[in-house]
Amino acid sequence: MKMQDSRIIAAPRDSVFEAILKPEMLKICIPGAEEVTGSAAQGFEALVVQKVGPVKAKFRGTVKVEDVVPGTALRLVGEGKGGAAGFARGAATVTLADHPEGTELTYEVDAKIGGKLAQLGSRIIDGFARKMADQFFERFKKALEIETTFDGSTG
Amino acid sequence: MPEDTIRFTLNGREVTVSARSRGHLGDLLRYELGQTGTHIGCEHGVCGACNVMMNGRVVRSCLTLAVQIAGAEIETIEHARSDRSTVALQNAFVARNAFQCGYCTPGMIMTARELLAENAAPCREEIRDAISGNLCRCTGYQAIVEAISDAAVTLREHADD
Amino acid sequence: MTEKTTNGIGAPLPRESARRLAEGRGRYVDDITMPGLLHIAFVRAPFAHGRVLKIEKDDAFEVCGVVAVIEGKDLAEICVPYDTNPTGVPNHVSAPQPPLVVDESCFQGEAVVAVVATSRAAAEDGAELVFVDWDELPASCSIEEAQADSAVPAHTNFDDNLTLKHRFGAVDVSDAFANAAHVVESNFDFGRQTGVTLEPRGIIAHWDPRTEELEVWQSHQVPWQMREVYATQLGLSPQSVRVTAPDVGGAFGLKLHAYADELAVVAVSKLMGRPVKYIVDRLEAFTADAHAREARAICRMALDPQGHILGIDARVDAGFGAYAMHPRGSFGEAMQAAQMIGAPYKVGAFRAEVFGWRQNKPPSGAYRGVGQPIACAITEDMIDLAASAVGIDPVEMRRINYRSTLDEGARATEAGLVIEELSLDRCLAKLINAMDYDRLRAEQTALRGKGVYRGIGLASFVELTGVGAGLYGPLGLTVAANEACRLTLQPDGSLTCATSVTDQGQGTLSALAQLIAGEFDIAPDKVRMIAGDTGRTPYGGGAWASRGMALGGEAAKRASERMREGLFEVAAGILQCEPSDLSLANGAVVGPKGPSGLTLAEIAAICHYRPYDSPLGKVPQMTIEESFVPSDVPYIASNGVHAVHIEVDPDLGTVMLLDYWVVDDCGTVVNPLLVDEQLRGGIVQGIGAALYEECLYSEDGQFTNGTLADYVVPMACEMPDIHVGHVTTPTRSTGLGAKGVGEAGTVGAPGAVRTALNDALSPLGARVTQQPFTASRILEAVMAAEAANK
Repeated sequence: MKMQDSRIIAAPRDSVFEAILKPEMLKICIPGAEEVTGSAAQGFEALVVQKVGPVKAKFRGTVKVEDVVPGTALRLVGEGKGGAAGFARGAATVTLADHPEGTELTYEVDAKIGGKLAQLGSRIIDGFARKMADQFFERFKKALEIETTFDGSTG
Repeated sequence: MPEDTIRFTLNGREVTVSARSRGHLGDLLRYELGQTGTHIGCEHGVCGACNVMMNGRVVRSCLTLAVQIAGAEIETIEHARSDRSTVALQNAFVARNAFQCGYCTPGMIMTARELLAENAAPCREEIRDAISGNLCRCTGYQAIVEAISDAAVTLREHADD
Repeated sequence: MTEKTTNGIGAPLPRESARRLAEGRGRYVDDITMPGLLHIAFVRAPFAHGRVLKIEKDDAFEVCGVVAVIEGKDLAEICVPYDTNPTGVPNHVSAPQPPLVVDESCFQGEAVVAVVATSRAAAEDGAELVFVDWDELPASCSIEEAQADSAVPAHTNFDDNLTLKHRFGAVDVSDAFANAAHVVESNFDFGRQTGVTLEPRGIIAHWDPRTEELEVWQSHQVPWQMREVYATQLGLSPQSVRVTAPDVGGAFGLKLHAYADELAVVAVSKLMGRPVKYIVDRLEAFTADAHAREARAICRMALDPQGHILGIDARVDAGFGAYAMHPRGSFGEAMQAAQMIGAPYKVGAFRAEVFGWRQNKPPSGAYRGVGQPIACAITEDMIDLAASAVGIDPVEMRRINYRSTLDEGARATEAGLVIEELSLDRCLAKLINAMDYDRLRAEQTALRGKGVYRGIGLASFVELTGVGAGLYGPLGLTVAANEACRLTLQPDGSLTCATSVTDQGQGTLSALAQLIAGEFDIAPDKVRMIAGDTGRTPYGGGAWASRGMALGGEAAKRASERMREGLFEVAAGILQCEPSDLSLANGAVVGPKGPSGLTLAEIAAICHYRPYDSPLGKVPQMTIEESFVPSDVPYIASNGVHAVHIEVDPDLGTVMLLDYWVVDDCGTVVNPLLVDEQLRGGIVQGIGAALYEECLYSEDGQFTNGTLADYVVPMACEMPDIHVGHVTTPTRSTGLGAKGVGEAGTVGAPGAVRTALNDALSPLGARVTQQPFTASRILEAVMAAEAANK
């Protein structure tokens, strides 16, 4: 399934770009993340617990960072194995642009779910995926804006 | 695992039972209380095999948490004999061969009973509409419609008995 | 007091013995429990094709109640994988299918790990904590992918996916086409289906180490087959295995097969020495049950100027699963789909090739109708195309081409079918009359003028029922071909019939009781039926291929006749007359001087307790066992014609089923009430195939509509009333004369809806070819026709 959306983040483009690549930031932003280790260069490993409809799963996943255009764009490619529940894979292309209020972050996600989860049908999966993507970028935005506020360096 | 003590009325008798908060009514009836007439067909509320009466209305026992029924009056297919409508339906179902494997039948009769309580003379379309939430893979539905129709007639004719 | 019938056969008796089902007193597998029963939940493969890298199970033991977590390698020591390589179909080969995946897994949903616990909920909690690390492998997930030159093998044991290749009829039929006045051609697509029995599959297995016996309760059609299967797989003597099928909530062929997950349950019980239960939940059922019907076909038909069929040339490509279904293989449906094309007709030259392709999907196996729905749909659509090309009415097209018997001197049809006598012309005549065909056509024409599109669809069929050894033996399948009846006269004058036939709602047991009661002129409730338990019944097949009454009824009839003969010998001695002077009325002997007052109970009492009172000096057997297998024919062909009247909305693509008729000839009808409802139920399943049912797979082999909300089966509000009529041509291969009927509805309905739809759409120049005929497919056809007409 595919989806796209954008957010205005009250922070400068460079700090937004830097933030995406920090494991601590990913841990805050990925809903249900219990652990995120690694680095942008080597790739991240994550342990995520989530419930999709009636199916609860612990996903062990990897996230690789590709196609980096410093300060402007990158691609996050993730894959999670969920044991009995199934598996998930997705890629998000993130582009940043300057905006009067800070930075406009646009993301395009292409996700695939398989196994028992997939069987529940798109009505549950699509809504769930949208909600997760939403939560991720909402948390990201909030975390950045708080940081920025504390920093004192507002846009 | 969290457990609760639930008191409710089952087929006219007061019952006290402990139930896990995550369990559903269908499993409670079948496994804890030995009322195996209610059947589980999908556990996602589509097929209707699990229909029971709760406070006089048909509910899906697979979508009703056991802990939700505290203080309620639950009736299952095992309660048949005391209810004229159910007995008339069962007689009609047998006469018309309106069941084959019998798996959908208890749930189907529950629905039919509720229909006849609200509408003493349903036409065929109304019957078909009312039972659309009960899947049957064996009969093709026509004999069920005949049986419910017959039962409605029987009940009307003996309404004063 | 129950009334007895003066003649058992033909009476529309309700099933009083089944009343308990309407009272909630059925006893299905999940209703059975026993002390110490453990429960299984499976961890199932998420990918269409994969290899297990590692299994981490420690976390599962943290769940209170989990007692074991069992892998494929644990079972390998005590249980061999299914080996489904039927000798009679040498190119139908399958990789061994273990009860739990050991290394390579080949379909989404294949069972990998069994978590055993004191409750199903605990087992499921445990299953959530088992971690399986997978290496995902490339997969073949459609017929196209599977048959491509560069296709990925669905199982790495093989280089390609071809697992069936067969030709029926002639090598070459081009002559018939070269000289034809008309040639019509079409392609066909049939969606993959699953049976959706309302009661999912379920099994309890109990290996008792004390007695070293295995007892199994299973929602199943053929307990005797399963006894052999479990004995073979676990290396036991069949005599140590007892299988019982209790009440079964629908089967339709889905519960004919030997499943890996059910074998895993049995093997777990053997490993642990504990009783173990597993009930397939609805979500699991979609990817773990047998699938059926997935096929693509192309067919050409050659005709002379008057519309007589000169030749048929067809190719069927069937989409199987990753393994052949055990033990009967997956080829049956594909073979019948090809061989039965044109069966109702004299076709001149015939060639049908069938290819079967392995895919990374669940194994496919027999499902109600077994290929014949496909053959009927192809045939009848071609007939309508032909009628249109030749310029004659579809009814006339059928009439002039119907076959009634084999050609002079021939032992089979061009396709190799052995048929006795068909009554299609009489069925069609009765049907046309019942539906008032001419009036419907006139209405159709009038309404077309107002932009209302009605369609009339006809579907003639021939169905192979009562399949016997003649078919299975040469294929190398160890499947019992007989049905048997063990009839006992009890001391109180009642009868017990232990039959090998099983009943999943068809009513066969009631009909057998009715038949037997009729032989002795007693009330049916005086005949007690025992079935489904290998420990209590004689060896035989069970239920499939519409055989219960055809074969089991014949066995019961012969047993009854033999018992009656014995009883008359005793009575003749007492009454001082000839046995041939005697008959039975109201359960008592009638002699040459009228009612003798000698009841069955009295004769039974003499035979059981006071044999010295018998003038013969000996007494007849009180238990008679008869086994019947049709010897002169491999199966008994039945026939009939369906018709459906529909209205299509070309703007919405929706179909309204206005009316439905069927005239069926299943020979002697023992109980029309049961037979008619079998037809109706089968028809509605066929309508489901035509309009709603399809297993939708993503490109990478994920089942995407696996809930009852998304895989739609027919509901009451959209189904029509169905008018049933009969023609009766008893089969000559049995004394009873009954032919099978359980599948006849499903065989004809998809074809009837297809032809009706194409009839409705014909003024728009539109045609549908891909089943199910969803609203979007109908709209696509309409829009394509509009675009072409511009």
